[in-house]
Amino acid sequence: MPDAADVYRRVEESDALSSGDIAYVSLARTRAAGEGPPGEAFDPIGRIPAYPRPAVLALPHGREIAVDTMFALVVTHSCEIDRQTNRGVTADHVDCRLTMAPIVPEPAVTLVGPGGEVEQAVSWAAIERNEPVASLYLPPVEDLSAFAPGVGLPWPRAFADLRGLATVSRRLVATDRLCGLTPSYVGMLQRQLARFFTWRDLARHDLVEAMVGRRIEAAVPLNAREDRWRVALTTDDGSSLTVELRTQ
Amino acid sequence: MTRLASIIEDRDITYAVLAGRARLQARTVRMLATGETPLDNVAVGTIRRIAVALAVPVAELLEEEPVFPGDDSLLRTERLSAAVREVMWPRRVVRYPSPVETGGDEIADLTPDEFFEQMPAIDARRG
Repeated sequence: MPDAADVYRRVEESDALSSGDIAYVSLARTRAAGEGPPGEAFDPIGRIPAYPRPAVLALPHGREIAVDTMFALVVTHSCEIDRQTNRGVTADHVDCRLTMAPIVPEPAVTLVGPGGEVEQAVSWAAIERNEPVASLYLPPVEDLSAFAPGVGLPWPRAFADLRGLATVSRRLVATDRLCGLTPSYVGMLQRQLARFFTWRDLARHDLVEAMVGRRIEAAVPLNAREDRWRVALTTDDGSSLTVELRTQ
Repeated sequence: MTRLASIIEDRDITYAVLAGRARLQARTVRMLATGETPLDNVAVGTIRRIAVALAVPVAELLEEEPVFPGDDSLLRTERLSAAVREVMWPRRVVRYPSPVETGGDEIADLTPDEFFEQMPAIDARRG
């Protein structure tokens, strides 16, 4: 489990924006009117727990924009942030968006499993070890002023939730930036991003059935586990799935 | 937790008891206490009746206005401090889907260096 000193670093207002920056921003998501991610079962009004009162802006045809104001983590790679500037693109033409993951603090939530059962202790133990692919653990800080001068408050145990990515302009991130992640912990963020976007799991039976009649173009062995062998199959229509074979 | 829910909890009374004193439906009180119906969505008279039933000023029931990013009436550090207090330490706790999946995977234990060991470098200056 990483300590705060291994995870957070101080950033000056004048420092360039980078991956791992934490800022107070408004995250927008479009949805059907009244629709409630992260799940009607948990909150029929559709609030994101870290911020209980989203602003809602109506769109035509029964749609709306929900805006949640909360702390979030920049996941866009620092090289991508710098790249357009380095290539001589003028400021007016630099694509201004940064992708950010909302930060979910422990005091705001009771973590529940798929069936609605409370899984607080088990979930936080796994999150601390960065086991789930969809989260990046953010440890507590007794006094934030070490990383954010003038903000002498504690910061609770939290995680960046990769399931809620949204984009925000660079200027807004720069305006209310709190602190950043250390270069070594940005490596952990990159590992989690790679896992999150390349998630591989055993295919359901109906997906395997749908592959019948297709020509297998590639079979990549993934790993062996006792008497089983996992293989990623890619077919001639470009689809792929992972199956598990018995070796005995 | 809303201020109303906090007062109800401190007084150790039920929604039904408060509703009876305020001559309101218990459901109305519950929805206000849970935040499902924001206080600014109901008639002023309803809030007054609840305040009278609890013997508190109306102002004690109202939620504080949250601080918003970019609010230039506050210094940056004041804005961030208020945001940490309000957003990271809220009074209301809600249920939230855990990111934990069933079953594990071998790569969950790898360090970033081990994870990216075989990956070729990508030139950030590429065109």
